[in-house]
Amino acid sequence: MGDIKYYAGVDIGSTMTKVVIVSDRIETALIGPTGPEHRKLANKVMEDALSQAHLKFEELSYVVATGYGRINVPFADRQITEITCHAKGLYSLLPTVKTIIDIGGQDSKGIRIKDGKVINFVMNDKCAAGTGRFLEVIADSLGVALDKLGEVSLQASRATPISSTCTVFAEHEVVNQLANGEPVANLIAGVHESIATRVYSLVRKLQIEKDIAITGGGAKNTGLVKALEAKFGSPVLVPPEPLITGALGAALLGKEKCERAILDGYNPTRSKEGLQEAKLFS
Amino acid sequence: MTGLQNSKGLETAERYYAQYGARAIELKKEGRKVIGYMSALMPVEILTAAGVVPVRLKGFVDEAITKGDAYMESIICPFVRNVFDAAIKGRFSFMDGMVLPHQCDSIDRTNDVWSSNLNLPYWHFLNVPHVTDGPSIEFMKEILRVFIGTLEKFLGTKITDAAIAQAIKAHNENRRLMRELYDLRKSNSPLISGVEMMKVLVAAMSIPVDESSALIKGITEEVKKRTAPADGNRKRIMIIGDQIDNTAIPESIENAGAWLVADDLSIGGKIYWPEVDEKTDPLQGIAERYLRKLKIPTTFVSDGDTYEENLEARFGHLKQRIAEFKVDGAILFIYKYCDPYGFEVPAMKSYIESGGTPVLYLEDEYSTSTLARVKTRIEAFLEMIA
Repeated sequence: MGDIKYYAGVDIGSTMTKVVIVSDRIETALIGPTGPEHRKLANKVMEDALSQAHLKFEELSYVVATGYGRINVPFADRQITEITCHAKGLYSLLPTVKTIIDIGGQDSKGIRIKDGKVINFVMNDKCAAGTGRFLEVIADSLGVALDKLGEVSLQASRATPISSTCTVFAEHEVVNQLANGEPVANLIAGVHESIATRVYSLVRKLQIEKDIAITGGGAKNTGLVKALEAKFGSPVLVPPEPLITGALGAALLGKEKCERAILDGYNPTRSKEGLQEAKLFS
Repeated sequence: MTGLQNSKGLETAERYYAQYGARAIELKKEGRKVIGYMSALMPVEILTAAGVVPVRLKGFVDEAITKGDAYMESIICPFVRNVFDAAIKGRFSFMDGMVLPHQCDSIDRTNDVWSSNLNLPYWHFLNVPHVTDGPSIEFMKEILRVFIGTLEKFLGTKITDAAIAQAIKAHNENRRLMRELYDLRKSNSPLISGVEMMKVLVAAMSIPVDESSALIKGITEEVKKRTAPADGNRKRIMIIGDQIDNTAIPESIENAGAWLVADDLSIGGKIYWPEVDEKTDPLQGIAERYLRKLKIPTTFVSDGDTYEENLEARFGHLKQRIAEFKVDGAILFIYKYCDPYGFEVPAMKSYIESGGTPVLYLEDEYSTSTLARVKTRIEAFLEMIA
């Protein structure tokens, strides 16, 4: 073991699993899809991240798991919610940010931060509208690849108003509009505006303060970011890799915790579980 | 036999919690009549004076509503639907009758659905008024007289003023005993956990008042003998809401590394703090307690001259309890579609926050099916105030 200490964050979201390894800098960041067996997959993405960073699992000083699958990571030393982790990760990248919008695969949330700490948050995880799931459904029914939605929407002559707030009904509405000859670009722009409206009404409860940033898969959609900027009446900052802020925050919180423990005079020990594949139903 | 001689207090509470209504079934076999009821607005003193076994109905968060939805639309509050579902499935088949006090629309507009489908020998809708002025007190006394009349007719006995006065004494004593048990949560760490306390509160609402008092006394004795583990870093949480009657939420709070040390729930703090004045006319005393002293959001309070004074009259007890129990954060848990609590959320939240206590507002189902997302919010809140 050298002098450099390594810390890992594992963020198991509804759709993607993210691993970040940090030392004094970000060593590596890796993203893989989340399977139905979270625990097996967390193991796999972690292995890939370790080999990318030329590290062995034993060389990690601490592992923090986050995201909605956080309890399913047997080799983690601690679980911290994605709210706290996103705030920490994003603050380390963009320290001027006070309001975070996170648009994930199956939820969306707003987080208010002050000096890197969460002071308030709101979550929507009851309804697909306003989440990445909505985009997936629409992309599918319009035959446009998910990662092309943003690009296509920028060619819209107008945003077609989508009146249904429910994802299922909105899909019907979009298909009907398509049959009426409405251009695909306009429809996608309309969907972005609909999501932006939902997200704005959620996050508004937090007394929004600038700067505003966006994380999660939604941040990768330029059309959606533009729609959000129009709703919020302010630029919305996008971190270099918006998917990894949760895992990054988890790794940094682990690092902080260990360093504080050492200052307090005791040596933090890793949990006994190695990186073996977890047994299911245990 | 009170069922207490053979087992310790907390074990008895655990059993009454797990097998809800078990004691009522035993007492029914001994020939007692069992009357079920909903809501903190039920004047239990009258039922005690009548010699019946009062059982406050609860729902079952682990059970999906399978029959109730055929009778009640989903706009009815999820708690009421769950309790009704349990009732219609026969979970409370020990009841000889039921009383529904007028708390909210979900209760009073479903009165006929309950009465006609359960078809019990005794039924009463208690038309509790919703304002606290003089005429309402007179009205409350009058409906209490009507209620007493119907009970007397059903039971074939007279409910005397002396019996009511006696019942008032017994319930006030019961409330004092419960508050003494609450006192054991003031230490750091508390001597009794929020999960244990939930079981005690639920057990207490399913048995006659004398048995409840004996049970609480026994538990207080047991708990006093414990030593508080030195664990000073945990945050101290208070929960506010209507009828939360299961350990799922307390467990979520305490498993996340906090202590649940206080509550303002309709089966807990809300009913064990206010007493009935023993020096006044019994019905006057009861009317005043249920209309003016019980702080529940269906009762409109306008005692003050200003908005601030009204807030103080309505929520002042919350600030007191936060100070007494050294609460670090409050969780306001509201059932979906609950208008009365929903209306109050902004005022209550800002009132508590103005005293420097952070508030987590949760709105959710009466069901453990949605517990994962509730847990995430609770954990994030605890991380936020850490």
